[in-house]
Amino acid sequence: MSGTLPDAGGPVISVQHLSVKARARAILDDINLDFGRSSLTAVIGPSGCGKTTFVRTLNRMAELTPGLTVEGSVLYLGQNIYDTQVNPVMVRRRIGMVFQRPTVFPTSVFENAAFGLRLIHEDEDTIDKRVTEGLQQAGLWEEVKDDLDRAALSLSGGQQQRLCIARALSVQPKVILLDEPCSALDPAATQRVEATMEFLKQNYVLILVTHNVGQAARVSDRIAVLSSGRLIEVGATADVLERPQQAFTEQFITGRFT
Amino acid sequence: MANALGGAKETLGEELLYDRSARTRWRLGFDKWIGRLLPLLFIVAILPILDLVYYVASNALPTLTWTILTSTNPYAPDALGVPIISTAEMMTAATLVAVVLGLFGGVATAEFLSDRTAAIVRTSANMLVGTPSVVLGYMGYFLFCVRFGWGLTFIAGAFTLAFFMTPYIFRIADLAFTSIPRHIREAALGSGARPYQYVVRVGAPIAFPQILNGVFLAMAIGVGETAPIVLTTTASKVLPTGAFSPVSFLTATIWENFSQPSGSPEIALAFQAALLVVIVVVGLNVIVRIISARYQRRLEGLFQ
Repeated sequence: MSGTLPDAGGPVISVQHLSVKARARAILDDINLDFGRSSLTAVIGPSGCGKTTFVRTLNRMAELTPGLTVEGSVLYLGQNIYDTQVNPVMVRRRIGMVFQRPTVFPTSVFENAAFGLRLIHEDEDTIDKRVTEGLQQAGLWEEVKDDLDRAALSLSGGQQQRLCIARALSVQPKVILLDEPCSALDPAATQRVEATMEFLKQNYVLILVTHNVGQAARVSDRIAVLSSGRLIEVGATADVLERPQQAFTEQFITGRFT
Repeated sequence: MANALGGAKETLGEELLYDRSARTRWRLGFDKWIGRLLPLLFIVAILPILDLVYYVASNALPTLTWTILTSTNPYAPDALGVPIISTAEMMTAATLVAVVLGLFGGVATAEFLSDRTAAIVRTSANMLVGTPSVVLGYMGYFLFCVRFGWGLTFIAGAFTLAFFMTPYIFRIADLAFTSIPRHIREAALGSGARPYQYVVRVGAPIAFPQILNGVFLAMAIGVGETAPIVLTTTASKVLPTGAFSPVSFLTATIWENFSQPSGSPEIALAFQAALLVVIVVVGLNVIVRIISARYQRRLEGLFQ
């Protein structure tokens, strides 16, 4: 699946001079950031700092919001996904996404996990295999394996969110964007999803948006801090949390940001 | 009497009671009586409808026979077999055309058109819904019978009826797709669905029950229409033989026979046709209710 890479050691995603405007208002301002393989980067910042918009630019979901214009480039394995030659549908098949609220479709557990595979008309054997793998990797398999035909909407919120992760995994993307995946979940469900993320970061590039500093501390290798659309600071999780270089970062992580 | 807070006065908590002023008493009484009055008002509203059904039924039933309902013999004029079958055929043709136009229009407006174009299309559909059926009937006559040269025929009537039904189906199809939660749409597109794959695989199953409701409602409205039919078709004593043949319709049968002297078999036939139309319209509305109830159970949790 992976193919040959032009620069095997280089970043999977490289964001270069990325700016986003909503009409005249700047939402993101000249962001430069690389994401290497097998890593989990947490993007943190206060509400309205542009972190959700930032991850949505990484798989061209941002353009589904009317009025947003994106400038600069996002290189995926060296290919700028904003080239006019690039099909956004294909970008989204390689760079998966999990949303704030569980977004299961009103069908069975199996069909939800198989959704992305049905889109590309995989054969039944492959679908069976990948759905099983996806559910196992998402940490949901043990809970649903006896009844894959049950309605996905009958699952609990945490199970639904892990099903959404399984749905993203089943098409074997390289990158998974997680936009505050635990914000609608209770602590127990959050713990399960965090365990899933820790397991997945061994094999995938995970980019996690969260406003929860504790969560970033628990699961991430690296933290990027956004404020008012600017990248304030980026570094290894321990460094950023223990020795923040910027006053804003310190205020934010200690909860003194107002 | 001791109370839980010890030393406090025994009147503690009295501030929670309603005061006894005339205004408060009046307000409480008003709430109570309004609650009893509303069901009564419902009965007042439904009485004219029940009276109408009773009036139609009492004029239709005494002389109604199985032969009247089923006979298609053109030489026995006092029968409804031909109008019943012709109505079914006309409604089938009109519904097919209206579903194709309304469904494609609704989906295109909800999912593919720009906001500005969609607004223009929606306004046009609303204007069509608000247009009196006589005007639409005349437009159908002018367009299909005269301009297209189809004459007063089955196909002209079916298309005019379809144009009458299309905006209802269009509006419900548009609404069904636009009311799908945005996060469901984004989840599908974010999983790499092409827009049409989202429409077919995710949107359609969610919107289907609502659209089916729209189709039945449009049929209930269409089957009760008279003007678009009598302006675009010629009445016939026999079943239609093709697209360009004359055709009868239940409401047109009422229209033709109701001007006859009271007590005549023609008047009874008009009432019998009217009773059938009422039964079909009520039946279609009951189907809509049943689908709605099932739909709500199936999608519980999706529209939170």
